[in-house]
Amino acid sequence: MNIAVILKQVPDTEAVVKPDPAKPGAILETDIKFILNTYDEYAVEEAVRIVEKTGGEAVGVCIGPERAEAAIRSALAMGLSRALWVSEPDAVSADVITQAKVLAAAIKTLSPGLVLCGREMIDTQEDAIASAAAQFLDMPQVLNAAKITIDGEKAVVLREVESASLEIEAKLPAVISCGKGLNEPRYPNLMSIKKAKNKEIKKLTLAELGLQAGPAKARIAALEAPAPRAKGVRVEGEVASMVAQGVDWLMKVAKVV
Amino acid sequence: MAGILVWVETFNGELRKASREALGAGQKFADHQKVSLDAVVFNAGPAALAELGSMGLRKLFTVSGESFAKYSSEGYCAAVAEAGLKSGADVYLACASSLGRDLTGRLAAKLDAALATDVTEILWDKTPLSVRRPVYSGKLLAQTELLASCKVLSLRPNVFAPAQTRTGAVETVALTLADVKIRAQVQKAVAAAQGVLDVTEAEIIVSGGRGVGGPDGFKVIEGLAHTLNAAVGASRAAVDAGWIPYAHQVGQTGKVVSPVLYIACGISGAIQHFAGMGSSKFIVAVNIDKEAPIMAKADFAIVGDLFKVVPVLQQELAKARAK
Ligand SMILES: Cc1cc2nc3c(=O)[nH]c(=O)nc-3n(C[C@H](O)[C@H](O)[C@H](O)COP(=O)(O)OP(=O)(O)OC[C@H]3O[C@@H](n4cnc5c(N)ncnc54)[C@H](O)[C@@H]3O)c2cc1C
Ligand SMILES: Nc1ncnc2c1ncn2[C@@H]1O[C@H](COP(=O)(O)O)[C@@H](O)[C@H]1O
Repeated sequence: MNIAVILKQVPDTEAVVKPDPAKPGAILETDIKFILNTYDEYAVEEAVRIVEKTGGEAVGVCIGPERAEAAIRSALAMGLSRALWVSEPDAVSADVITQAKVLAAAIKTLSPGLVLCGREMIDTQEDAIASAAAQFLDMPQVLNAAKITIDGEKAVVLREVESASLEIEAKLPAVISCGKGLNEPRYPNLMSIKKAKNKEIKKLTLAELGLQAGPAKARIAALEAPAPRAKGVRVEGEVASMVAQGVDWLMKVAKVV
Repeated sequence: MAGILVWVETFNGELRKASREALGAGQKFADHQKVSLDAVVFNAGPAALAELGSMGLRKLFTVSGESFAKYSSEGYCAAVAEAGLKSGADVYLACASSLGRDLTGRLAAKLDAALATDVTEILWDKTPLSVRRPVYSGKLLAQTELLASCKVLSLRPNVFAPAQTRTGAVETVALTLADVKIRAQVQKAVAAAQGVLDVTEAEIIVSGGRGVGGPDGFKVIEGLAHTLNAAVGASRAAVDAGWIPYAHQVGQTGKVVSPVLYIACGISGAIQHFAGMGSSKFIVAVNIDKEAPIMAKADFAIVGDLFKVVPVLQQELAKARAK
């Protein structure tokens, strides 16, 4: 089975991010370490494991600027065989629905039996790529998988929602977004990292995908720092006295008791 | 703007709290824009229907039948789109629950709409319609403009005020859909144990971290949670150690929560943990280390051993509640 894996490069979670005053909606990129989106690692790992079992190939599909090559290479080092990459600014800066449409067009060229992606992009905190791409690909989807079992023509997926654990059967081809707990992503060894340098990354343009840039459906007009939290109260010393002050605060300020 | 349609999520036939909030946002929206407010609901029980009948809705689209007995992204999306067509709506609201997130991505793609997920604020007076939503692990807020003519929003639970009771008769329209293609279907649903509150839905969360020391330590956390009618949360360190299941994890790789009160016990407050609970209205921290990052962020910080503080806190709160 051939598998397409959607990839994105994002700032490391430890990064101190600041809005770029010159570019509304963008962050200052100096001093930021970029990584493969944390959840994409689960998708890559799952794809590689499935292909190791069933044959076929696992191919990365990425929208990202020039710096994104590093993230693509790290996914190749984990075992993807090659990757497709759209780096045109019109795609890179597009809203999530437009990006899903671009990804779907690139994925179509692979005729995959399965499409995997991470549960959420940790930079924009968006998790709609899987559902939106599934709609554009005319496939079913399951989000935030904790377990995937491929069973012939279908995938059996476990996921959790607020009040229940669900077992969902999806007819293949399907799009599945991958969550924590699905697997333990591997650390590529030196050999794999070296090999990844020679794997093919094919750039695709929107025109080659039969698409053209349209008006933005949504755009980030500004990035703002959240209002700082008001300075809190700190108590030290005797347990009884701290607790008494705590109860008083909970009743009078938080008003929850 | 032409009209608003709210997708109402039910659980066992009853309205979800997060859906009452989406309806509340819908009421405010409709008032502001002077447009109609409609809703679409699947498998609503009599209590849910009665409640939806007293919210000042213009139309209520109801969907039931075998194809819709269980949630499916394709089936629900087709029905919501159909309701939207009949309603003439161009703004779709949903709660950003697990299913709400699943649905809205597909719906926005189907309608070629602008999508904003996990919205924490609607900027009622801005044109074009603008919202705020957290990005970069909550370190920044994005002010996002929705430019396409059709707009789909999912709203973070516990942030918006629930719908008010209003008078006026609602017109109920039963939708029937022929030939919905459903290729992903829930086969089995194992409900969470009775009385176990999910952290994303709780008003109060008591969380434990590495400082709890082991699975037995969580009994102290559970005790306080029980007294406060709260959900039990955890840091990744506690989850990775196997002290408590992953469903309780709050943070970047866990759940994002917005309770009224978050009580962090033995949690240092790493940036990835804060990403999940930073938008809590009030934060209380119990930590032996007054320099722990959580202590600087807390509204009320107790410097002390959680094993000594938390049980006494539970006792005193129980007494205060009994009064
Ligand atoms: C990509 C990525 C994603 C991550 N996602 C998450 C996530 O979703 N959620 C998450 O929580 N973390 C996440 N982390 C991990 C995060 O960085 C921290 O390692 C983790 O939150 C630490 O958990 P902790 O606060 O329980 O433990 P620690 O940092 O070890 O803190 C324990 C605290 O307990 C206090 N303490 C000890 N004993 C007591 C006592 N008896 N009484 C009172 N206080 C006591 C200590 O003073 C200390 O402050 C992620 C990390 C990465 C890299
Ligand atoms: N709902 C819960 N709240 C607090 N602690 C729990 C909860 N469920 C499990 N635990 C603790 O986590 C340990 C491991 O749970 P489990 O992974 O379910 O076997 C148990 O021994 C409990 O002490």
